[in-house]
Amino acid sequence: MRHVGRAYLALVLAFVLAPAGFVLVDSFNAAASFPSPFEGLTLRWYKEIARHPEFPEAAWLSLQLSLLSAAIATVAGFLAAYALALGRLPGRSAIETALSGPLLVPELVVGLAILQLAGLIGVPLGLPLLVAAHAVFGLPLVLRTVLSGFSRFDFAMEEAARDLGADRFQTVVHVTLRLLAPSAVAGFVLAAVLSFVNLPLSMFLTTAQTATLPVIAFAYMESRIDPMIAAVATLVMLTAAALTVLIDRLTRGKR
Amino acid sequence: MRNLPALLLLPAALLLIAFLVLPLCATVWLSLSPNTLVRFQGHGVGNYAYILGKLYYVGVAIRTFRLAVETTGAALLVGYPAALALSALPPRLAARVTLLLTLPVLAGPLIVALGWMIMLSDGGPLLHPLTPVIGKLRLLGSEAGIVIGVTHFVLPFVILSLGGVLRAIPPALLEAADSLGASGWQRFHQIVLPLSLPGVLSATVIALSLAMSSYIAPHYLGGPADLTLTTLVAQFVLATFNGQMAAAVSVLLLLAMSGLILVLTAALSRRVRA
Repeated sequence: MRHVGRAYLALVLAFVLAPAGFVLVDSFNAAASFPSPFEGLTLRWYKEIARHPEFPEAAWLSLQLSLLSAAIATVAGFLAAYALALGRLPGRSAIETALSGPLLVPELVVGLAILQLAGLIGVPLGLPLLVAAHAVFGLPLVLRTVLSGFSRFDFAMEEAARDLGADRFQTVVHVTLRLLAPSAVAGFVLAAVLSFVNLPLSMFLTTAQTATLPVIAFAYMESRIDPMIAAVATLVMLTAAALTVLIDRLTRGKR
Repeated sequence: MRNLPALLLLPAALLLIAFLVLPLCATVWLSLSPNTLVRFQGHGVGNYAYILGKLYYVGVAIRTFRLAVETTGAALLVGYPAALALSALPPRLAARVTLLLTLPVLAGPLIVALGWMIMLSDGGPLLHPLTPVIGKLRLLGSEAGIVIGVTHFVLPFVILSLGGVLRAIPPALLEAADSLGASGWQRFHQIVLPLSLPGVLSATVIALSLAMSSYIAPHYLGGPADLTLTTLVAQFVLATFNGQMAAAVSVLLLLAMSGLILVLTAALSRRVRA
C-alpha cells in the first residue's frame, strides 16, 4: 500500500513539474522551429536575449518593483502580525480575514480597480502605483508567514528581557525581532518572488517606461512563442527555485 | 500603551483601504456609469442589465462557473490521494516534496502556461507520439486546455492544504482502529475521511476562488471563443477601452465568487456537522 501511495505521489509530482521542465529543456533545444523534438544542446537562445534589450531592462524594473513592494508589505505585515499575536484585540479572526482580503480578489480586478481610482482622482500611472498594488498583494503573504513564526514564539522571552532590565525598544529589537527575523525574511522573499512573476496585477498599470518583465513577456508571447522566451523563462525559474530553497531554510531553520 | 495593537495595525489597514477598498469603490461607481456601449442618463444598473440580457455574456459567466467546478473537482480527485500519500511520508521527505510542489507557483503562471503551450501543441512532445493511437486531438485553444492548465495551477494549493489537515489526525486514533480490528478501508472511511472533511471544504474554497480568478491559463490555453469573466474584463480594458463595462464584469465576477463560496461553505459545513 505504501509503495502504491509513493508511486502515485511521484506521478502527481511529475505532472506538477512537467510544464516547467519542458520550458527548461526547450530553452536548450537547437531546433529552430518551436516547439519541436529535441535536436541537440545549444546556448544560442540565451545569447539571443542580448538582442532584445527590453528584457533585461524590464527585469531590472521588476527587481526594483519586487524589492520595494515586498519591503512595504513586510513592514506593514510584520507589525500587523505582532498586533494579532499580542492577542489583546477584540475580533481577532475578523481582522485576520480582512487582512487576507487581497488574496480573495482576482489580481486582475485589483489592478483594474487601482487604475480606475487613479483615473478618477487624476493620479498618473507610474512605479509608485505599481509598488502599492504589489505591496497590498504581498501583505497577506507576509502576515501568514510571520504569524506562523509567532505561533512558535514564547512571549515569556519578552518578559524575561524586561525583568533583566531591558526597555521596551531593546526588548523588541534584541529579542522579538531577532527571533522572528527568519519568518520576516521568508515572508519578504515570498512576497518579492510572487511580485516578480506577477502579470495580472501589473498589466493595466504599466506604461512604456514602467513595463515589468511579465508584461514584456506577455506582449512578446502575443505575437510569437520561440525558444528565446523559454530561455528568459528558464532564467526566472532558476532564480525562483534558488529562492524557494532559501525560504525553506529560513522557515525550517530552528524548530 | 493600551492602544499599541491598534497602532501596529494602522499601516496594514491604511494600505488595504487606500489600495484595495477605495479602488474597488471606484470600480463599483464606474460600473454604474453610462459608456459608449450602453447609454443611459445619470447613474444606474444599465450595464448590468445589458450584460445579463445578452446570451453571449451569460454564456461567458456560465463557462467560468463550469470551468471552476470542473477544475476544482479534478484537483480534489487527483489531490486527495496525493495528500494522503504525502502525509504518510517521513517528515524530511515530506518537506522536500512540499518544496517541489510549490516550485511552479513561485515560477509564476506565465512560465507554466508557456510549458503547457509547448506540451499541448499539435507537434508537441505530449500529443505527437500519441497521434497514431488517439488520432488528432486538439487540446490547445479549447476548454479542455483551460481545464488542464487551471487544474495544474490549483493542484499544489489543494494538496498542501489537505496535507496539513491529514497530518494533524492523531496517529493514536488509527492505531486504536487497528487494534480493534478495522480494515484499511474502514480506517479510511470511518476515521480519516470524516476528520479531513473540514480540510476538503477549505481546499474547495481555495480551488474555486483560484480557478475563477485565473487569467493567464484561460488566455493562453483557451481559444478565442472560450472567454471567461477574467479574459472578458481584459478584453474590455485592452481591446475596446471600455472601463465601465470592464468594471461591471469585475463586480459580477466578485459577486459570483463570494456567492459561490458562501453557498458552498454553508452547504458543506451543514453536512460536516450532520
